[in-house]
Amino acid sequence: MIKIKIKCFSQVKYALGKKELVLELESGTTTQEVEKLIRKKANRNLDIVSLSVAVNKKYISKSLVLNDGDEVAFIPPVQGG
Amino acid sequence: MIITPQELQKWVNEGKSFTAIDIRPKEMRIESPLSKLEPVIANTKSIPSINNDLVLICQFGIVTEGIIYEKELKNAYSLLGGAQAWNEFQLAKEDFSRWSRQTVLSEIGLEGQKRLMKAKIVIVGMGGLGCPAAQSLMAAGIGKLKIVDGDTVELSNLHRQPLYGAEDIGRMKVEVAKEKLERLNGDAIVEIEDLYLNKDNGYNIINGSDIVIDATDNISTRILIDQFSKELGVPMVYGGLFQYEGQIGVFNVNGCKGYSDLFPVSQSDQDNCAKTGMLGMLPGIIGNIQALETIKLIVGITPNLAGKLLMYDGMNHSTQTIML
Repeated sequence: MIKIKIKCFSQVKYALGKKELVLELESGTTTQEVEKLIRKKANRNLDIVSLSVAVNKKYISKSLVLNDGDEVAFIPPVQGG
Repeated sequence: MIITPQELQKWVNEGKSFTAIDIRPKEMRIESPLSKLEPVIANTKSIPSINNDLVLICQFGIVTEGIIYEKELKNAYSLLGGAQAWNEFQLAKEDFSRWSRQTVLSEIGLEGQKRLMKAKIVIVGMGGLGCPAAQSLMAAGIGKLKIVDGDTVELSNLHRQPLYGAEDIGRMKVEVAKEKLERLNGDAIVEIEDLYLNKDNGYNIINGSDIVIDATDNISTRILIDQFSKELGVPMVYGGLFQYEGQIGVFNVNGCKGYSDLFPVSQSDQDNCAKTGMLGMLPGIIGNIQALETIKLIVGITPNLAGKLLMYDGMNHSTQTIML
């Protein structure tokens, strides 16, 4: 098992009602799988929202396998003012 | 009281009687002697009592203001911008004293200020982000600002767009903004484009500028700005908002990623502030960070947000920076 921290921004925070959460996952879990889990937790509130992902404060363009202690940020695009 | 180099030069030209007092340390006086003045030498602790108007001069005009205040000197003026601004005025006949509080910063200095005064900045969107960004850039002495927006002022804009008032409702935003911005710095040039940036006009709007500030309220225009920014090699300073949160990034500079690399999936209709709500302070903060990053890029100050995304949460004032 691995423990990872999820950082939620804008619509993700709004949909989950939390800025951070900690998940215990099977070893070998990928960012793509975590994203699916987050979307499921959001009860369809993120269905039309695309999410960019950063692991340990570095943007990633492709899914990767997570390690114990990783911090994963889900960042939606936002509009303006 | 303060006196600018230009005003002091007028005193000199008119033959007005005054005594200049140089309170700088010896090494500073030797390194940059006061041009065309014959000052009395003093120090910060002992200002001579002379029955004449005194002009106190330090290196940047800050110490002397403090001395006049503390000693309650009635007949004394602090030379704004100090020896730095005076000598530059003698050399180039340009008075930089107005910006002395920022030229005193070693990262800016007179050279940085000159770069700012030659810079051409485009701001796309004169709403919640564009208003504060434009105000701060004008106040900082940016030479040329092109502001782009096809919208008119509405009542619901006023809480977060401080360039506009109730009397401006119904007028084109760029026209009102130009009037207000020119009051901040009459020497700057403010060009207006009373239209929305689109795929047909974007190239010409951004072409020839040093930086484009993305202050739009929608993602589709942002994607266009990113495309033209890449194509023209004009760095893009991005700002985005969601309720109490903001994002700022500097894209397409020195091989850094662009907006579309970070957010590759286009979304034509996400929540904007009309749908989600927002306090006016948030765009004020984010728009000012965009202006700050713009100044840093023009002057060449590092570190900056090139190749990074800064996320600010106004609820608990936390930030997180993501490397792109």
